[in-house]
Amino acid sequence: MGPLPILIAVTFRDRLIATIRAARPVLESPGVLVIGSEVPNLLEKDSAATLVVSQDLDVGVPVDRHAALKPRLAELRLFEPSADEPSVWTPRSPELLELNFVGMDASQDPTEAYVLEDDRLPLLVFGALSLVSRGAEVEIGGTRLALPRPAGLLLEKLITDRTGEKGERDLLVALGVLATSAPEDLDELEGLYRRLRSELRHAVRSNLTILSLLAPRSGMPDPEPRRSEVAGLLRRLEAGEAEAP
Amino acid sequence: MTAVQERRLRELRSRMLVRAFDHRQRRHARGVWYRLRRVLTFASEAYSLPLEEAARLVAEGHRPEPVGRELEPSRVILFVPAERLAKIGSARRLAVRLNAETLSAECLALVPFEFGAAESAGSD
Repeated sequence: MGPLPILIAVTFRDRLIATIRAARPVLESPGVLVIGSEVPNLLEKDSAATLVVSQDLDVGVPVDRHAALKPRLAELRLFEPSADEPSVWTPRSPELLELNFVGMDASQDPTEAYVLEDDRLPLLVFGALSLVSRGAEVEIGGTRLALPRPAGLLLEKLITDRTGEKGERDLLVALGVLATSAPEDLDELEGLYRRLRSELRHAVRSNLTILSLLAPRSGMPDPEPRRSEVAGLLRRLEAGEAEAP
Repeated sequence: MTAVQERRLRELRSRMLVRAFDHRQRRHARGVWYRLRRVLTFASEAYSLPLEEAARLVAEGHRPEPVGRELEPSRVILFVPAERLAKIGSARRLAVRLNAETLSAECLALVPFEFGAAESAGSD
C-alpha cells in the first residue's frame, strides 16, 4: 500500500516551496514568471499544492530578459543543467523539483515555436505562451515571484493541443485556473480570445468541450461541479462567432 | 539545437498540422465529434430513452439535434426539460461523457443547463 494521498500532498508542497526558495535568484530576475501546472497549486490557499502534476516548476523567461537572467544561473547552486536537455535544470537533492526554463516571446504567433540558441541556457520558445503575461506577485518561501495573469494562462492551456493523459491533466489544470478566476479575468479572456484567428478560437472551444466531458481524476479538480461554468464560458465565446452557434 | 529540442519542435509542428487539418474539416464528417461534444457540454444531465419515448417527445415538439443524424447509425438526441424527463419512468440516467455508454444509446435526452443553452446548441 502506498503512502496516503495527504502525505503525498504535504511532501509535494514542501518540495515545491523548497524549490521556489532554492530558485530565488532566477525567480526574482526581472520579467521572469512561474507558469504551467504549478500555478493553480500556488493559487490555492496557503499554496496548498493539492493537485497532482509533474514534478517540475516551469519558469517562463521572456526572450528579451534572457540576457539579464543568465548571470543569475551561477547562483543556482542546488541545480545543474541536464545533459540531455539544457533548458531543464535538475536538482541535486530529491527534496527539490526540476526547473524547466521555457521561452516566451510576446511577438510570436501562437502556433509557432523556435529555439533560442544559447550555450548556457537555450530555450524552446512556445508561441502559445505569447498569450501569457505577467500578473500578480506573491511571496512564497521568502521569494517574491510573479504569476501569470489568469486569463492568458487559461487561454494558453485552451489553445494548446491536448491529447492523452498529460493533455487531459493539463485541461484539468485549466479548470483549476478557471475556478480561481474573477469575472474580470473572464472578460479579459474573452477579449484575448476575440483577437485569435478562427482556427485557434475553434481550438479553444473544442478544448472546452473536452474539458466538460472529462471523468474525475484523483488529485485533480473535479470537472463535474464546474460543468455549468464551462458551458457558460463556451456559450459566451460562441456568442460573438459569425460562423458557429 | 539539442536532439530533444529538435524532437519537441517536430512534434509540436506535427500537432499544429493535425489541428489545422481538423479545423478545415470542422464542417465535414470528421467534425461530428466536436459537434457531439458541444451538444453534450450544454447538457447538465443525460438519459438513455426507449425509441417510443423519444418519438413521443418529438411529436410533442422537441426538435432532434442535427448532430444525431450525422452519426452512423443515427441517434435521436433531444434537449428536454428535467420536469418532462422526470415523467418518463424508463429513462436511464447516464454520465455526461463521450463514452461507450453514451454512444450506444439509441435515443439520448439531454437536460439543458439553465441559461437556455438548448436554443444555442445547434450544429456548428
